[in-house]
Order: sequence, then C-alpha cells, then structure tokens
Amino acid sequence: MGESEDVPKDFIKLKTEKLSVDEVSELVISPYCGAVSLFIGTTRNNFEGKKVIHLEYEAYTSMAETEIKKICRDVRQKWASVKHIAVHHRLGLVPVTEASVIIAVSSPHRAESLEAVKYCINTLKASVPIWKKEIYEDEYSWKENKECFWANSEK
Amino acid sequence: QVSVLYFARSAELAGLRCESLWVPRQITSLQLWEEIVKVHPRLAVIRDQVVFAVRQEYVLLGDQVLVLQPGDEVAIIPPISGG
Repeated sequence: MGESEDVPKDFIKLKTEKLSVDEVSELVISPYCGAVSLFIGTTRNNFEGKKVIHLEYEAYTSMAETEIKKICRDVRQKWASVKHIAVHHRLGLVPVTEASVIIAVSSPHRAESLEAVKYCINTLKASVPIWKKEIYEDEYSWKENKECFWANSEK
Repeated sequence: QVSVLYFARSAELAGLRCESLWVPRQITSLQLWEEIVKVHPRLAVIRDQVVFAVRQEYVLLGDQVLVLQPGDEVAIIPPISGG
C-alpha cells in the first residue's frame, strides 16, 4: 500500500500565467491509464467582423473552484473508470491564440476520457462563474455563453 | 449584514466589487435585488440577465425566501462566459 496506489485526483487551478499543455497532461498521466484526452480552449482574433485585441477573464474564484470540483465529482459518477482530471483556467489578460482553458482526463481506455473531457467543457461553460470580456479596437463586450442557464430564459 | 460581491458588468455598473449591506434576515431573492438596486440604480438594466449566488449556490431572482446569516456572501452573477 502507498504511493503506487495512484489514487484518483482532481487538479484545479485558476491562474494568470500562461497555461501549459505539457504541465496539464503530465498531471493526469498514470501507469494504469492507456488514454489521456485533452481539450484546449483558445481565443479567436475576431467576432462579428470586429478585430479582437485581447481578452480579459475574471472569476468568482472560490465559487468557480467549488463548481469545477462538482463537475469532477459528476464525471466520476458518470464514468467510474476515470482516473485523474485536470482543469486549468486562465484569468486576467489573455492574448489572442493563447489558451484560456485546458482540460485533461485520464482513463484506462479512451472512450471514458473522451466523453469526460467533452462533459467537463460543456458543463464548465454552463455553470462556472467566470466571465470573459472581449476588447476590440474601440469598444469592448462582456460575452455570454449560450449554455448559461439563466441568460436566455427571460428573452 | 451581508457581503455583496459584484462581477463583470454588474461591477462596472455599481462602480465597486464588494460592500457590506444591511438586509433583513429573511427576504425573497427579488426583494434582495430591489434593496441592492436602491443603492445602485444603474444595476436595474441587467435585472433580466442576472442571478444571485448566495453562500455560493445559484438563486434565481424570484419568490424564493432566503435565510441570511451575518457575513453571508451574496454575489451578483451576470451571464457567464468561461471556457
């Protein structure tokens, strides 16, 4: 008994520094797993014909971490063989083409980690209190995810 | 007395990110919104787009009765855009 048990872990981080795909993948690698699935959310340089200069993210940090933990718990209920989950989200200023979010999941076989990564990003967009502001040349816009369960219900 | 947290567009409209407010111990979520708009009238324009997070649980603006403790965190949550 000991370190070789490889207990399933969740690695959740909100940070202002540039995200690293290598770092996030390495967190979830496990000798018991044959699959690591990855999602990287990057920032586009245009929206409705306007040039995006950069993005700014802010978060209700304590609640965001709690909501991401809930997502990890749900993942493990749906896909019991999932081993490790890592969710890194960047906050503050994010230049165009840099990653704003990286999600990595490991599992013994590929089906579960692929499904789990998709579930993580979809649910994150619907429930985690993080906001993105797109800065254009002469204006800015607070974005709204279509997954947000309260934004569209009144319209 | 609760801590009200403002984020994103609501922070821009209110002009601040955090303040303490005196509110009744029991209040509906809609009444709580109305108390906050009294202090920051510019928030009225986003009424249809926001929800609260009370003690980090989402609450829609409506008839739900909140039982608040001193020091509870109440956050104004505009439509989210993470990921």
